[in-house]
This record gives sequence, C-alpha cells and structure tokens, in this order.
Amino acid sequence: MSELYEQIAESVVNGMADEVENLVQKAINQGMKPKEIINNGLIVGMNEVGELFKNFEMFVPEVLISSQAMNKGMEIVKPLLKEGDVQKAGKAVFATARGDLHDIGKKLVIMMMESSGYEVIDLGVDVKPEEIIQAVKEHNPNIVGMSSMLTTTMPAMKETIELLKENDLYGNLKVMIGGAPVTEKYADEIDASYSNNASAAIELANRLISCMQAV
Amino acid sequence: MAIKRRNKRAVKLDDSIRTNQVSNNSIQFRVLNENQCERLYNAVLEVMENVGMQIHHKGAVELLRNAGCWVEDDGITVKIPSHVVKKAIASSPSRIVLSNRNKKRKLFLERNNAYFGPGPTLLNFIDVNTGERRPVVKNDVLNTAKVVDALPNIDFCMSLANISDCTSDLADVHEVHAMLQNTTKPIVTWAFDRDNLDTIIKMFEVVAGGEKELQMNPNVLIYSEPTTPFVHTYEAVDKLLYLAEKGLPQNYTPAVQAGATGPATRAGTVIVGAVDTLAGLVISQLKNPGAPFICGGVITNMDMKTTVMCYGSPEFAVMHAATVDLFKYLNIPTFSTAGCTDSCILDEQVGIDQAITIYTAALSGGNIIHDVGYMDGGMVGSLEALCMGDEIIGEVRSIMRGVRVDDEALGLDVIEKVGPGGHFLNEKHTMDNFRKEFWYPETIERSNYEDWKNSGSLTYRQKLNIRAKKILEEHQPQKLTDDIIEQLDILVEEAEKRCKK
Repeated sequence: MSELYEQIAESVVNGMADEVENLVQKAINQGMKPKEIINNGLIVGMNEVGELFKNFEMFVPEVLISSQAMNKGMEIVKPLLKEGDVQKAGKAVFATARGDLHDIGKKLVIMMMESSGYEVIDLGVDVKPEEIIQAVKEHNPNIVGMSSMLTTTMPAMKETIELLKENDLYGNLKVMIGGAPVTEKYADEIDASYSNNASAAIELANRLISCMQAV
Repeated sequence: MAIKRRNKRAVKLDDSIRTNQVSNNSIQFRVLNENQCERLYNAVLEVMENVGMQIHHKGAVELLRNAGCWVEDDGITVKIPSHVVKKAIASSPSRIVLSNRNKKRKLFLERNNAYFGPGPTLLNFIDVNTGERRPVVKNDVLNTAKVVDALPNIDFCMSLANISDCTSDLADVHEVHAMLQNTTKPIVTWAFDRDNLDTIIKMFEVVAGGEKELQMNPNVLIYSEPTTPFVHTYEAVDKLLYLAEKGLPQNYTPAVQAGATGPATRAGTVIVGAVDTLAGLVISQLKNPGAPFICGGVITNMDMKTTVMCYGSPEFAVMHAATVDLFKYLNIPTFSTAGCTDSCILDEQVGIDQAITIYTAALSGGNIIHDVGYMDGGMVGSLEALCMGDEIIGEVRSIMRGVRVDDEALGLDVIEKVGPGGHFLNEKHTMDNFRKEFWYPETIERSNYEDWKNSGSLTYRQKLNIRAKKILEEHQPQKLTDDIIEQLDILVEEAEKRCKK
C-alpha cells in the first residue's frame, strides 16, 4: 500500500504526468481512499519538490512540470472526493501595481502558489487600487499579493492598503508584496509582508495563513 | 481489437529545403593564419638545421647521426636537416586517445578538443584547513586526485606537487602511488629519471593488467622537459627514448621565457619553444616511428621588473594560442597551459588570470591544457584555486558551444504559442532545453542580496574552501582491488630499496 504512495510521490518529483495518472488510477482501483492518495502521495511528492527547489537542487521548469504531473493525478481523484476531504491551502488575489506592466516575477509566484495548493485569482497588470478592492469584495481572499518593478509604481501598493483599511477589509486578510525595488523596510512601512523570491513567497503565504488560523 | 501504434520516438525528417548551409558549431578563434603558420614552421626548420641543439645523450645522438643529421666534433651539438623533421612529423600520430583507469576511452587528443587539468611539481601547498602555505606532502596529492576525480570540468589529473615528506628522489613515484588510488581520470605525470619512470610505468601496467593493455588504453601521459634554449639533458632524452620504445604517450614541454630564454618577441618565443619540443618528437620517431607524441609547452615571458616567469600575462595567453595554431597546422596533438596565476594568495587576481588564460586556451583548442590550480608563478598549489578553475572551465565551455541555430532552437512554435505578455516558464520547450542550453554554476553566486545574506554572507573564497572540503569529506573515488594496491605498494618498496643502495 504505502509503496504505491511512494511511487506516486516519486513520479510527481520526477514530473512524470503519465506515470502519476496510471499510478493514481491503480490506487483507486485497489480501493484506496482519494483523500489518502492526495495526502500520502501527491502532496508528499510536491512537498519534496518544494524542498529540492529551496536547496537549489531543482530548477523552476522542473518544479512546474512536477506540479503539472500532480494536477494530472488530482484531476482523477477530484470527482471522487467528498465534501471537506481536501482543503485549499488558501485563496489569494494577485495583481501587478497600477502603472506597472512587469509581471514575470508575479507569474512565477502565482504558479508556485498554485503548485502548493493555493487558489489564486490573477487580476493582471496595471491594476488600479479600486479594482483590487472590488476583487477582494467579490472573492473574499485570505491573501492579497501585489508586485511592482518600478520605484514609481510602489506608491500604488501603499494606496491599495490604505483603501483596504478604509473599506474595513484589511483586518480579514494579509497583504504580501514583492518586486525588484521592494524591501522589507518598505513593506513594514505600508503594513504589508515581504518576501524576496518565489519560494520565500510560498513560505510567507503559509506563515500568514497559519497566523490567521491561530487568531 | 485494433491496436493503435503511437511511436513517440519517431521524429519527422526536416523536409524544408536549405542548400549550401554552413553553421558555426562553436566560437571561431585563431591567432595565426595558414600563411603565418607556414612562415613560423619554416623558421623553426631553419633554426633546427642552422643553429642546432645540444643533446647530452650518446644513444640519441647516434640515432640522429644515422638519420642524416650533422653532429659536430663535440659529439653533443646536432643540426637537424629539414627533411628529417618532416619525416618525423609524418610518422607521428595525428591523434592520441587517453583512457580512464577502467579502460574507457575518454580524452580524444585530436583537432580542437580541449581538456583541462592541474599541473606538476609544485614545492608548496596552501593547506585547505588552515590556509597556511607550507611544503607540499603526499596527502596533498591524495586530496588533489580526489578533488580532480569529483570536479565535473577537470578532465585529467596531475599532482600539483613535488612532495617533501618522502625519500626525496622518489617524490614522482609516491605521487603516482597516491593518484592511481584516488582517481579514475587519466593521469599526466613526471619522473626524475629512467629508473623512476620504469617503476611508474610498471605501476600503471599493474593497474591496466599488462604492458599491451596499457599501450592499447593508456591512462597515463608522461611529462618531461628540455632545457630551453636548445639543451636536452641526458635524463630528459633517456626518458623520452624509454617512452618511445614503450609506445606510450608523452609530451616534451619546453618552458620558454620571452626576453630571457627566448627572444623578446612573441613569434620568436613561439619558434624557440617549437624547436625544443620538435627535437623531442624527432628523437622519439627515430627510435620508434609512430610513437605517440604531444608538442607544446609553457610559452611565456619573464617579467622584466621582478624577473619572475609569468603564469598570468596576456602574452602567455596569446603565445600559447599561437603555439597551438602552429602544431595544429602540423597535425600534431598539442599541449598547452592555463588556469594559473602569479598571485601568491587566493585573491581577485587568481580569478582574473585564470579566466583569461582558460578562455584563451579553450578558444585556441589545445588538447591537454595543464596547470589549473597553479599559483605564485608555479611555486604553490591550492585546491580552492583548482575548484575555481573548474567553475571557469564550465563557464567557458558553455560559451564555446556558440549559438545553436536550428528549428528547435529558433523556437518559432513556442514563441507563437506564448505571444505578447505571456511567459515561457511553463512550456515544454523550456523544460526540454533549459538544461542543455544553459550552464549552472556550483559556487558562482546568483542569489539576491537577502538570500545571500541569509545563507551566511559568504565570500567567493569561502565558498571555494567549502566546496573543496565538502568533496574531501564526501567524495568516494572508485577503489582499486586490495591485490592491485598490494602490488603498487611492493613496487614503491622496491624503489625505496634501490634508492638506499
């Protein structure tokens, strides 16, 4: 039994989508619980991927291939899940700050967050503070993520946070920001949290979520 | 049941029509053109025929005399007519293959294939644990072999030593004893004289399983030196004849210093070096036509302010490249030098000198490129410098591959698929290509400031030290069998007895 879980995890680490598909189907046929297939196989593999990436032993494209392989497995298991079997790690609304069209870093963070089980709504680039407020009201996320590549677009992130406060939304969520000119100090000043790369962003998101659950 | 065949491996023939296409599969570089090579070669022939050389070995002088060379009354000075040189070059093999210890053919010394490794006979070593400069010991050779074995871009092993903690006349033998047990990579090594060389070759034969086995798949190349300009000692020639007879590969390596042991011009210095190494080739071919022989050397200048022999000058780089061009013109495998420095400690200058000499040596395509990890103008060795060289060679090799231009590399399909504002991170094309098109360093820093700071704010020097120590702690070179190790020990003991007489 556990051997099959190990094989699933290994196939996820190796980014073998076909293999994951076959193994997950095999597990279902053998009567294994969908929830356990996810928690003991697919997620175990993806956690290992995160660890390898953090230690520079795995590269971004390989992480993404692994996450695609995991999703292949998820697609098979999902229809069999019962209500409450699997919880999303969290829900996030992401945007590139007003006036800024640079978003490769944000895209990277979003993909990594999705790989880690987050649901992420990407509002795109050059997003006005008001649009972010609108999206928060609509989606009710745990996290708002913003990025900025230019010193000139950083103030839009501050404006957004002020607007969240004015609308009484700030207390229900956490704000994380990033981008080349952004610093820890700036984040502190505007009441946001900062991370300096994609895997640090996932760790930050996890930390923020567990803070909120602890409250 | 109808079986549908899906052969995913079948790649369709590219049916687009492109005629007379010529691609550069690598960077293009040359110091001397055909015409310049010819002119230099004729100058070399003229020096050999007109100036001649001193050969302090009666047997070799007789070989030369019988081949039509002119021997003067002193019985030492020999002038070699051009036709004798040409005949020798013609019988000398244009390619030599070095195998690893397991007889797998690894280094193809032909055309522009460039292989890198450390150098020989350094008297001092920088202790990897204390940073102290001290006399080199046998354990340093053991460590060097281990590090060479582990480093991905170091292709052959040399000792980085003339060890101090053994019978002083047997440093060469003890070094081979240490290297053979700690790396499977081909070994380039040196010997004091014929007796020691005989012991060393017997050690290699024991590992290979016999004389013929070693000849067929040699994992050894012997390095010896004339005394520039134009003096060939008894020991040097005697070793040369021994190896020619054995049919084992050797390189005969002049160390020319422009302005001191060579003229103060680049071309003149290349000529003096070439005359010395070719004299060795002629003797080897007269002894045994077809004996594998590699030409080249350390071709540099004396610094006229400090009188040191430069190991990191720009002229060092370009004169080696010119020498390689000349021997490639003659279709002889080449020996070159790079990855070394005049700096006395591991500092920024080591990086500058290594990068420039390695880059130029790789561009010029010398076959056996030695002295990676040399410091202080050939006086001290360092494992950290060797690790630095490995990283630079990796980087340079990636540049040498140039820019591949074919349908897959043009990537039109994936560019169209991604389109404006999209990204390539998630594409199969990226996954298929990023590792083969882009090189990734082991020690070169590419983290951002926060990550660098959080991982200990390490300087590059510290990282090299960590890497060297990590290899020494973790790397396990393939072991020889107890029986073979015992036979090697016996050969060393016999040499010790011989020396005590």
